[in-house]
Amino acid sequence: MKTTGRRSLILYILGAAFLFGLGVFLYGFATQGGMWAVQPFNKYITTGVSSQGKVLDRNGTVLAESKNGKRVYSSDETTRRAMLHAVGDTTGYISTGVQYNYRAELSGYNGIMGLVTPNGKAGGDDITLTLDSSLCRLAKKELGSRNGAVAVYNYKTGEMLCMVSTPDFDPENVPSDINTNSKYKGAYLNKVMSAQYTPGSIFKVVTAAAAIENFSDIDSRTWDCSGSITVNGNKITDIKAYGRLHFKDALAKSSNVAFAEMAMELGTEKMTAEANAMGFNSSFSLDGINASKSVYNVAGAEKNELGWSGVGQYTDLASPYHMLVLMGAVANGGTPVMPYIIKNITTPYGTALKSGAAQAGSRLVKAETAERLQQYMRYNVTNAYGDGLFPGLKVCAKTGTAEVGGGKKPNCWMVGYSLNTDTPLAFAVVVEEQSYSIRSAGKVASSVMKAAAKIK
Amino acid sequence: MDFLTIGLGKAVPALLYFLRVLVPVITAVTMCGCFSSLKLGRRKEDPVIVLKNTVTHGIIPVLYWENSIGRSRSCDIVLRDSTVSRDHAVLMRRESGWIVTDTGSKSGTFVNGRKIKSATPVMPGDVITMGSTSLSLSRTADVKGLKLKKPYRRQASSPAALLFSASAVQLMFCVQLCLAGEKASLEPLLPFCAVFVMEWGMYFYSVKLLGRVSFELETVAFLLCGIGVMLIAGTGVKNSYTQLAAMLLGVILFCVMIWFLGDLGRVMRWRIVIGALAVLLFAANLVLGKEHNGSKNWIYLGSVSVQPSEFIKIAFVFVGASTLDRLQTAKNLTGFIAFSAICLGALFLMKDFGTACVFFVTFLIIAFMRSGSLRTIALICAVAVFGAFLILKFKPYVAKRFAVWGHVWDDPGGAGYQQTRVLSYAASGGLFGTGLGKGFLKNVFAGSSDLVFGMICEELGLVLAVVVVLSIAMLMFYARSDVTRSRSTFYSISACAAAGIMLFQTCLNVFGATDVLPMTGVTLPFISLGGSSMVSVWGLLAFIKASDERTYAARRKRK
Repeated sequence: MKTTGRRSLILYILGAAFLFGLGVFLYGFATQGGMWAVQPFNKYITTGVSSQGKVLDRNGTVLAESKNGKRVYSSDETTRRAMLHAVGDTTGYISTGVQYNYRAELSGYNGIMGLVTPNGKAGGDDITLTLDSSLCRLAKKELGSRNGAVAVYNYKTGEMLCMVSTPDFDPENVPSDINTNSKYKGAYLNKVMSAQYTPGSIFKVVTAAAAIENFSDIDSRTWDCSGSITVNGNKITDIKAYGRLHFKDALAKSSNVAFAEMAMELGTEKMTAEANAMGFNSSFSLDGINASKSVYNVAGAEKNELGWSGVGQYTDLASPYHMLVLMGAVANGGTPVMPYIIKNITTPYGTALKSGAAQAGSRLVKAETAERLQQYMRYNVTNAYGDGLFPGLKVCAKTGTAEVGGGKKPNCWMVGYSLNTDTPLAFAVVVEEQSYSIRSAGKVASSVMKAAAKIK
Repeated sequence: MDFLTIGLGKAVPALLYFLRVLVPVITAVTMCGCFSSLKLGRRKEDPVIVLKNTVTHGIIPVLYWENSIGRSRSCDIVLRDSTVSRDHAVLMRRESGWIVTDTGSKSGTFVNGRKIKSATPVMPGDVITMGSTSLSLSRTADVKGLKLKKPYRRQASSPAALLFSASAVQLMFCVQLCLAGEKASLEPLLPFCAVFVMEWGMYFYSVKLLGRVSFELETVAFLLCGIGVMLIAGTGVKNSYTQLAAMLLGVILFCVMIWFLGDLGRVMRWRIVIGALAVLLFAANLVLGKEHNGSKNWIYLGSVSVQPSEFIKIAFVFVGASTLDRLQTAKNLTGFIAFSAICLGALFLMKDFGTACVFFVTFLIIAFMRSGSLRTIALICAVAVFGAFLILKFKPYVAKRFAVWGHVWDDPGGAGYQQTRVLSYAASGGLFGTGLGKGFLKNVFAGSSDLVFGMICEELGLVLAVVVVLSIAMLMFYARSDVTRSRSTFYSISACAAAGIMLFQTCLNVFGATDVLPMTGVTLPFISLGGSSMVSVWGLLAFIKASDERTYAARRKRK
């Protein structure tokens, strides 16, 4: 019987497998319980047993709330559409929305009590955003029927004030042809976070930074911008011949010839190092919501391709959110204050669970370089774009007109920030398929910044 | 009853929540009490009798009911004598007294100088001779200077107290259920009373009438069944009636099997008959069975549906453990392998993949405990893996279950429907549940059978769900701790196999529903809705109970 006793230890193999499996389940329960519970099919949520919390803007305007088990949004359609990508839709298709990413908090889920509370009534936490819904509404109106993205944040406090993406749709009356009609292509996408656009001339800020750091004679050098240069049989062109230009004018007039020459002179290694240092090929996130990466990759590029990459073409891609953070970095002497969107989360009992606060990111630009860039970008506005675009504000900026090919008109960019200490605002604006950046992106940036400057 | 809801008013939800926190605590304490009492109440490993070497006067304690004697170190009684065979003889204790059997030794076994041909009784004072070693049998009391282990000082909890706390838990469930609806209702008292009567009836029958000392195993089973019944009553009190009837049948089967297993001779006589019956039952199932949800494992007798494979489980354990001829000497598994192959073949024809897995694991446990040969087991497993591969390749309905495994969130509306509901509602319940009868998982197909673990999590909370499955797993420790104390290897092996089945089914059920393993549609022992499974699990429990020598000790005393 001794042998039988010893052989019965085989049961422990089964026992160990059982404990392992139970461990796997419990680990999942602890780490993913919120995701499991907060599903659109969960009847605790849909029948109103657990009513989801509200989403409010910085002024307390209700953007989304639950009434009788139904999710309802702002009563104004433009506000609903403007806030769609920040707030998210009911079905959770907009994966960058707060309603998707904070669904556990909104449903009131916690690991101890699940979706119910001892008093039998459950309520989710309310989430107040840093966004200003009237500013978003304005940005949405400025974009009109054009597609694009608008983002504004306070680069001192980190508060995100405006985040709008088009095309959009009304979350209360989801169009039935949303998946088939081409006008809704990209409607589920928050372009501020998830889009990757060809940067065009706004990338010259990166090339400029590399030039500032590597050419000691930068201010005494001149570039001969005679309209075009030919490299490897490929023509790099400007809109017109600018003649001999100093560095700051090359940037202000946005000469492709000058910046392509700079990029080719700097070479693959230095260009890549500068782009990587400034946050290209890196991940950024906004309160846990991940943004698409900006891409700079010149591995194996020909010399002419390297030239084009220096003016934001070739395979370059930029995420509007990253551009916004980069502007914040330049404004803050090289180290950005990271944007946040969640002002606070409060439980139904009124206790605050989380409140957003300024948090420094990692350095993107050397302090000295940032200071120089600021001077040049300020010069862009005063001498090229005109201070009249931003009345009452001292803005530093760079525009971009990115060729996208395929017979489409270029995507127009404007990125920048205001120097004023009482309105420390950075912005990034993209308007798709336009001809002139100042008239499209510039005009949107102008109205949005004017309104944003009034926000207390 | 309305006055109660009005009187308590808003306090009701809070009271219910308090009960939900209290229930797992009391359940856990009761379960711990039962298992510690099982351990404390057991006989120490003291010698039952001793053997005295007639030449050297050395004393060999005899520790077990069945003892192999031989030169091999794996024997219970090792004789360092080159004239003794590796496995020479077996000394057994039976109802009639001590018996010695020769197990094919070269030189033979002698009792008082006479060579034995079959099992021969030995009395104290008799001399057993093997090779050049002679041993005389003596009572423990006659030998002086024998060291005995001190008895435990700690007192085990009384069986009545443990059963009382089990009833208290069930009463708390009943209160929750009475207050669950909009209006308070007295209807849930009915299933509660039925369980109450069954458990205390069994207690008086077993402890007072038959004079059995232990009741822990039954307490665990009744507590678990009570949880299952109340959970089912939460989906509608009427739904619990069949489950209660099955439970009663199960308890009766339990009693009958305890009686049946009492006589080892009877067990040996019936093994062929039971094996044949099992095969016949499979045949009947294949002929009469109707396809239901993809598998053909049900027989309909009028309005009653029966799942024969559940009962064949009991027969399988019985045949597997009883075809062992003589202790340790029979390494020949052929007969059992053939029987297992028939069973597994029938299950594949019925497309009951989950139950086939259960049978296979049971087969592995029994085969290993009988032969101890890792090589044989490895070979069998290799064949099984190959077989499983073929099944996956040629049976798309099985492959489909495997394909969705780990990807349930990719298709929550289709292939992953059940698992995503389980996970979602289990998480909704948190640690203490949303309240008995207030869940939503019960509306999902197979909610109270295949997905019952999720239902416990949702309505009663994760803590209780874990306590429940751990309690089932603990039966394994109980079966194992009795392995060397049982009255025969038959009991040891059958108890381990029974505990193994219950644990493995628990694994398949819990992990299948929660997407840790592919879904196989196996019931959770004691809890899941299902008459056949409820009856069969009590039958399996009888094997574990029978392996405890105390079950029969008391009865002998009364003679």
